[in-house]
Amino acid sequence: MFPEAFVLLLLVAFNAGSSLGKDNERFHEELVVRPLSGDHVNTYFQFTTRWHYGEKDNLYHTQLTPRVIAELLQQFAVKELHIGLTQGLWRYETWGYPIVEATSGAEMWAWFSGSNLTNGEVDRQWKELANVFSGVLCASLNFVDNTNSIAPRHLIRPQFMPANGQRFVRYSTLPREIVCTENLTPWKKLLPCGSASGFASLLNSGHVHNTKYHSLGLKVRVLCEDHDEENCIVELTQTANLVYDLRLFELSNNDFSLRRLFGMGLNGFCELADSSKIYVQRNEQGERFQLVPAPTQEVRSTRGGHSVVYSVYDMHEQFKDAGERLFNVAWLSPKSEGRRRNLAKPSLPPVTVHRYLLGHGQERGRIVTEVTNSHYDALPIMVQEVVPWYVHAYLHTLSIRRKPQRVNEYGRQRLPFKLLHYTPGKQRELPSHLEIGFMLPGQTSALITIDVDYLLLKWLEYPPDANHGHYIGAAIVSSQLPMGRNYTALPPEGHLFEHSFNATRPSYVLSLHTEALIVSLPTPDFSMPYNVICLACTVVALAFGPIHSVATKMIIVGRQASAPKNFVKKIFNKIFRRGKAGEEAPAEAEGAVLGAAAAAAPLGPSGFGSSRASRTTGGPSGDQPLLEDLDEEEEEQD
Amino acid sequence: MFAKFVVITALILASCRAEAEDTSVLPESFVDAAQRSTHTNNWAVLVDASRFWFNYRHVANVLSIYRSVKRLGIPDSQIILMIADDMACNARNPRPGQVYNNANQHINVYGDDVEVDYRGYEVTVENFVRLLTGRTQNGTARSKKLLSDAGSNVLIYLTGHGGDGFLKFQDSEEITSQELADGIQQMWEKKRYNELFFMVDTCQAASLYEKFTSPNVLAVASSLVGEDSLSHHVDPSIGVYMIDRYTYYALEFLEKVQPFSKRTIGEFLQVCPKRVCISTVGVRKDLYRRDPHKVPITDFFGAIRPTRVSTDRINVTLANEDDFIVDKDETVAKKPFKIVMESQFPSELFK
Repeated sequence: MFPEAFVLLLLVAFNAGSSLGKDNERFHEELVVRPLSGDHVNTYFQFTTRWHYGEKDNLYHTQLTPRVIAELLQQFAVKELHIGLTQGLWRYETWGYPIVEATSGAEMWAWFSGSNLTNGEVDRQWKELANVFSGVLCASLNFVDNTNSIAPRHLIRPQFMPANGQRFVRYSTLPREIVCTENLTPWKKLLPCGSASGFASLLNSGHVHNTKYHSLGLKVRVLCEDHDEENCIVELTQTANLVYDLRLFELSNNDFSLRRLFGMGLNGFCELADSSKIYVQRNEQGERFQLVPAPTQEVRSTRGGHSVVYSVYDMHEQFKDAGERLFNVAWLSPKSEGRRRNLAKPSLPPVTVHRYLLGHGQERGRIVTEVTNSHYDALPIMVQEVVPWYVHAYLHTLSIRRKPQRVNEYGRQRLPFKLLHYTPGKQRELPSHLEIGFMLPGQTSALITIDVDYLLLKWLEYPPDANHGHYIGAAIVSSQLPMGRNYTALPPEGHLFEHSFNATRPSYVLSLHTEALIVSLPTPDFSMPYNVICLACTVVALAFGPIHSVATKMIIVGRQASAPKNFVKKIFNKIFRRGKAGEEAPAEAEGAVLGAAAAAAPLGPSGFGSSRASRTTGGPSGDQPLLEDLDEEEEEQD
Repeated sequence: MFAKFVVITALILASCRAEAEDTSVLPESFVDAAQRSTHTNNWAVLVDASRFWFNYRHVANVLSIYRSVKRLGIPDSQIILMIADDMACNARNPRPGQVYNNANQHINVYGDDVEVDYRGYEVTVENFVRLLTGRTQNGTARSKKLLSDAGSNVLIYLTGHGGDGFLKFQDSEEITSQELADGIQQMWEKKRYNELFFMVDTCQAASLYEKFTSPNVLAVASSLVGEDSLSHHVDPSIGVYMIDRYTYYALEFLEKVQPFSKRTIGEFLQVCPKRVCISTVGVRKDLYRRDPHKVPITDFFGAIRPTRVSTDRINVTLANEDDFIVDKDETVAKKPFKIVMESQFPSELFK
């Protein structure tokens, strides 16, 4: 049904014979602006540094390529590295497919190849590599380790690998990772011109982080000549993919401009760049707008039966004549349209994905991934899931149910697996890793479900904000499309955006990310131990005092020989005694308390005596109790 | 014989008197030397230990100091910034990528080129102590290490929620004043600082420096034991307190300092009198041998750039190591070549 996996031969021509080192190293900057449906605008920056360094020894002296990338190739056996730092969710249904794929949070994968590489050595290098980029990009990538990394088997493929030598791959995501100015700053510092001039000067944090979706990417790959390890190119591609919501600008119409989007116009091009071009999509959603200044060049690209028109602004031409100025492009919509919302429905992309959690409570749940094929023909689908160790997945509950696209309910019809790879997780050591493949018939949705249990963590394993919940990273869904509708990704052999023009191939490999999930694991009340300690101590303190007194003090009752009989004498006796026994008052007060306690729990020398004592102290007159503290040193504790 | 004895006695007495005169007043140059800056480089460790949106003010605190030290010349590679939560890109922040010290948005303390070295869950007591003592784990990135030496003046700034003898990290663990003192003692023993300026803005902040015994440490705290440190004002548009009082006035002072300023640490210590701070600012000077009024503030908040003024010609020879010479033959050798790309989809599995 599908064409053979194709092999591409790419001829890379170089200016042979030139003696300058710079000719082996080229830098390109590109900006693509695509109006999207629903008043959104996608701006995509791509900075490509390509260095034909030849032998490995030449890596000690870099020019345009950042030193850290060259050192990477000396230090590690890494051949391909992808890092994405993203905030927000790409809406496939309305925005189509992005030029580069990314998942919310941090995502990282790398291919290693070399002689004498072992799995243990790759694990070590992988962890160190993550640590290096945690420093370079100011991200918490140092949390990448064996507990959240997998070695994908089928879905993630290398773009280029030397023919000989073993290959190893590691993949990890950190869905909780935030992306902010501290990531953008060091990312810009990797560029030859920094943020001083060129397209990078448009990337100011205030205008990057107010977007609906922003994604920073970094891709390094080493391409060597077939069977010649000593003739290689290192290619660093830095991408920034942003989606602006025009409604947030609160304009009276749908017009926008570079200055409106980025806060300033373009101050020129990076002097070190070989090309510096802006591509503006003119068809589909771009049709509504008129461009000011009018573009000088137009490119029509047909790829897989799908036509796209781009207007091109070459910055080298725009800034040919000297003089300080800012370049701006404005998108003007016709006056009649006014502030009308753009309600034109976009064409639905052939494959869309969603993911969600089912079940209630904090004990068990079910992870659901839904893949919809709106193409008329069947498509091969692969899904890769990484389930963290604190969630147990049960393989026997894995199933794929299907339904026609128009029907609401999933029936009992199942889809057979073409491919199933499962590595069970291990508590606190390994995540569960699942890869499945199946053929999804045309106009059909598939529902992939797997049952999971949530684990009760140890006290110290909870993060400081445990009640926020724990993340399950996004699944990757991959497919092979026979046509190029909505497809904008660069072909693997290309490195510039213009390489995607007219790049018709037998098939197009699509890779999509689902939403990340958040589960609320059973979370204890962390202040509970403190509360229990406080309560228990109070109870013990309150109980200890009286019990200790009663247990250690003896009550001896003495009867007064002659108690006054008549009322006047009683009063006189009372006044007289109070005056005389002033210093005994505290002892008496204590005696009263003691008496009360003794009444509640008679523990005296004899039950009869103590109960009489309590009666006599309780009464207004009569017998005078004589209390004797056996142990005066001890005080009540609290 | 007797005369000789008298002469010797007289000489001895005279010499004793002369010695006594010398020690009573130290030579001017010696006193000056003791008061002079002796550092060769500067480092700053700035820590915000609190998480959650309502602790916005603590992030604003630490970013205020970050902004000042960066403006006064300490490079990002020598500033270790630890921020326990993300305020700038927090979903609750209506001004993404910006953190202000004032409801009127005077200063965006987050700036446009901030580099946070430890963030989120990385801000733990363990990481902080490892950072100070230089016992970071294998493979830690260079930007996450305090690579100071015996010539470094180190500024340590802590802010968060504290109590008598402790400072909370992330609302889940604490560092005690004893642990802090031990960490700094270890730094001293390992020759990781020349002089250390310890600054802390938290409730009962003075309790944190009480246990210090290491030499050359000057400490300042926003409040004494038994006192609370208070916040400055609230921004009703975001519903949280913007900044703490002590750091607000410290920033106000530091904003007026320029890299070659003559302002002293002594002036900085009086930056927040009780009538504006409400809490009493605590200072500990007994471990510090210099007079704070003679120490320029740039000794801790700025950076030394070793420069030498020369009136003579200087002969700069180009390095002639092999690395720096582009081998012409080699670059010529580059020829067109072919690359075989891999298939991106395992179609064979779906046959």
